[in-house]
Amino acid sequence: MMRVTKFTYFKEIRFMFRKTKVFLFVTLLALVVAACGGAPTAVGEEKATEVVTSSGVSTEAPSEEPMSVSGDLVIYTGRSEPLIQPVIDAFKAQYPNVNVLLKAGSNSELANALIEEKSNPQADVFITTELFTIQSLAQEEVFEPYVPKGADQIPPEFLGADNMWTGLTRRVRVIMYNRDLVSEDELPASLFDLTDPKWRGQIAAAGSTNGSMQAQIAAMRQLIGEEATQEWLYSLIANEVTFFGGHTDVRKAVGAGEFKLGLVNHYYFYLQQAEGSNVGIIFPDQGEGQIGLITNATSAAIVKGGKNLPAAQAFLDFLISVEGQKLFAEQNYEYPLLPGVPLREGVQPLDGFRLADVDVVKASLDFDATFDLMERVGLP
Amino acid sequence: MSISPRLAVAAGLVALFVAIPLVYIFIRAMGAEPEAWQRLLQTRLWKLLSNTLLLVVAVTSGALLTGVSMAWLTERTDLPGKKIFRWMLAMPLAVPAYIGGIVHLALLRPRGGVIPQFLESVFGQPVPTPSPLGFWGAAFILTLFMYPYVYLLSGAAFRTLHASLEEAARVFGRTPMQTLFHVTLPALRPGLTAGALLVALDILAEYGTVALLRYETFSSAIFVQLSGRYDRSAASVLSGILVALAIVILWGELRLQGQARFTQMESAWRPAPLVTLDRWRVPAFLLVLGVVSASLLVPFTVLLIWSIEAFLDPQAMTVLFRTGSQGFGSYVWNSLWSTSAAAVIAVALSLPVALLAVRYPSRFSRFISRLCQVGYAIPGVVIALSLVLLVNRFLPFLYATPFVVVIAYVLRHMPQAVRASESALNQLSPSLEEASRTLGRTSLQTLIQVTLPLILPGLLAGGSLVFLTSLKELPATLLLRPAGFDTLAVRVWVWAGEGFYLQAAPAALLLVLASALPLSFLLRREQIFK
Repeated sequence: MMRVTKFTYFKEIRFMFRKTKVFLFVTLLALVVAACGGAPTAVGEEKATEVVTSSGVSTEAPSEEPMSVSGDLVIYTGRSEPLIQPVIDAFKAQYPNVNVLLKAGSNSELANALIEEKSNPQADVFITTELFTIQSLAQEEVFEPYVPKGADQIPPEFLGADNMWTGLTRRVRVIMYNRDLVSEDELPASLFDLTDPKWRGQIAAAGSTNGSMQAQIAAMRQLIGEEATQEWLYSLIANEVTFFGGHTDVRKAVGAGEFKLGLVNHYYFYLQQAEGSNVGIIFPDQGEGQIGLITNATSAAIVKGGKNLPAAQAFLDFLISVEGQKLFAEQNYEYPLLPGVPLREGVQPLDGFRLADVDVVKASLDFDATFDLMERVGLP
Repeated sequence: MSISPRLAVAAGLVALFVAIPLVYIFIRAMGAEPEAWQRLLQTRLWKLLSNTLLLVVAVTSGALLTGVSMAWLTERTDLPGKKIFRWMLAMPLAVPAYIGGIVHLALLRPRGGVIPQFLESVFGQPVPTPSPLGFWGAAFILTLFMYPYVYLLSGAAFRTLHASLEEAARVFGRTPMQTLFHVTLPALRPGLTAGALLVALDILAEYGTVALLRYETFSSAIFVQLSGRYDRSAASVLSGILVALAIVILWGELRLQGQARFTQMESAWRPAPLVTLDRWRVPAFLLVLGVVSASLLVPFTVLLIWSIEAFLDPQAMTVLFRTGSQGFGSYVWNSLWSTSAAAVIAVALSLPVALLAVRYPSRFSRFISRLCQVGYAIPGVVIALSLVLLVNRFLPFLYATPFVVVIAYVLRHMPQAVRASESALNQLSPSLEEASRTLGRTSLQTLIQVTLPLILPGLLAGGSLVFLTSLKELPATLLLRPAGFDTLAVRVWVWAGEGFYLQAAPAALLLVLASALPLSFLLRREQIFK
């Protein structure tokens, strides 16, 4: 093990030196440009116009030969790192010459960075855990259109307008519970049961910085209206729901018996179950007149002006390939969007559930109002 | 001596470099739409303000109480084992508060923590335990990792304080308690206010611990704003207010420091007699042991156990030792080179400022020196925000390079370098430099051949301080790091944030050990170890 680290360490040093050289060169270049009368920002503008002229839907498949795709591939991911890592490892096994550089953060933190970087793009690929952020960014013209190989098999509602983004996997908002603490007959059947005082202080959920939670609130605003959503959030806070930064904390807390119920994406239940906890899952709001399951999809897009388009395209192709989709299904219990890829054993198929119908474009246009709402009610 | 124009220009440029992010954030805050101000005023602002101030007051008082009592017990009493305690009480400075928080949270988390679960398995039913979450938890844990500032400064003061002052009070019939409160503590005041100031400013800047323990302050709210709506004006507004708050505290300290002067004659110094604790020996010993355990022994032991578990767990191992930019070696390397670079740059930049302030004291040089110390008052998240906006707009080729991270470290920790360089220069007699000039050396030659070699130990101390504090800097690194550039602090935060404590532990342990090294160098220098 020592030898491996030492080796990577030296590789890193060499890499750093290379980077330093490049940096010095770029600095010099910029100084020359500045000295010749062009402000440094002109460099960025030039690049931007270049991209505009060469843009347009490129359906042309990237190079067939994986070895010929090389260089750094910068991925901004709103999916937490442990959940995307296996997929990246598999991609790297296929494209050994690509050096993946990952920046993980919350969807909107990275979205902010992408907007900030429009004139000076840093990322090649953006991955999020829901569709509203990626659709908002598409409207901000952050992305480069691309139709990945196999996109024609993905259900059209999971493809962005003008091929700006591609859906990857579906996930469902569910309630997980600790079987040691909650008996079958007292289970909540609806998201709105979570405001029942009998659960006071017994519920964990993710807070306002979490992409999936933001998306759920955006969906609810569309389904039941601003007023009712606000009322629901106030009631959750009044019911002393504990809001964590992410869902891993939620599932672990419910698994450990710290809380009886947790509001999570479905796969957190399966991950916790796999760790040996005695937990159960509720697919809420299935009754007549209820809103149905709130679903969303992870998605990916290519950043306009990114430095490594071939690698970015190869990566998107990989994400919706049978192998990539299988990894999401197997490693993370998600619902693949590519038809024919089997669910992981034990995962409840979605057929037969009432699913809430949410208009992605409308929700993304209203996303600011969702942030306003969360801020107004003081969601932690 | 007339002021050297080259030096004045150099120092002025340094001050400009330091001031730009500060000025820029104020401009952005003022330029924010009235809507952003209004929304904040109506909703969050007052809550955030009271939350933040409450925590500052609680932790500062907690740190004063703990720091002074620990210093008194180890310097002025016959406490058993005080030599080793003296050292152990200072070491928590090497433990970033968020790492301490992670450990205490894992141990004490209500119902889910190790201790509550253990108690439940012993007693067969849940036993209520104190929660590390929320205001009291945050105040407690931050106190545990902040008191060493006060402890070190008051410990030094206790050591150098004249015995005769206290003896005089006793002769005039004061009880030991009255002497402590009426003579000793007031004489310690300069050290105490300096310590309290460091604590208060650190709390304002604190992000990791409060976010972890779910207590919202300005710093964490700015972070939340940055990961919320696509609009940075609200974050700028909050940053502007936060910096204003910090400047008020900094100014308050200057005022307090300025009012009182204590003069001691060096010649008649002798150590104060030790207080015998008698029947208080055991309780006092247990108290100190408790503080040392909670702030040093327990976190260290837990991290060690987790690290060993991680090394025994093949899954954790593969996560830890990936190849390329995601390998453990690369985090270590990134941490070390970026903080070392920051230390070298900060010390180099502090030189003209310190030279000007010490060798050519004037209103101008004092102003420059003060300006270079505002870094104390600008929390990491604010520096990061202003650098993101500034660099991307004006120096786009620098954007998203590790160098921006280094610049943030330099800006944030410059004050330590300036103070260290100034104190080193103060101890060097100008006559040496004058002699060198008389012998025909130019001022630059004098600087390189005479001044620098002589003040090198002082510069090294300043550099160590910058290294130590940059190594644990979290919010600036999180916001500014380019993709693929992770440091130990970031890895600890990401892994622990996902609840993967085993994976986080080796990085956390290494971070603590890497901080302990320069810290022991500094402590030895200050003669805490004898």
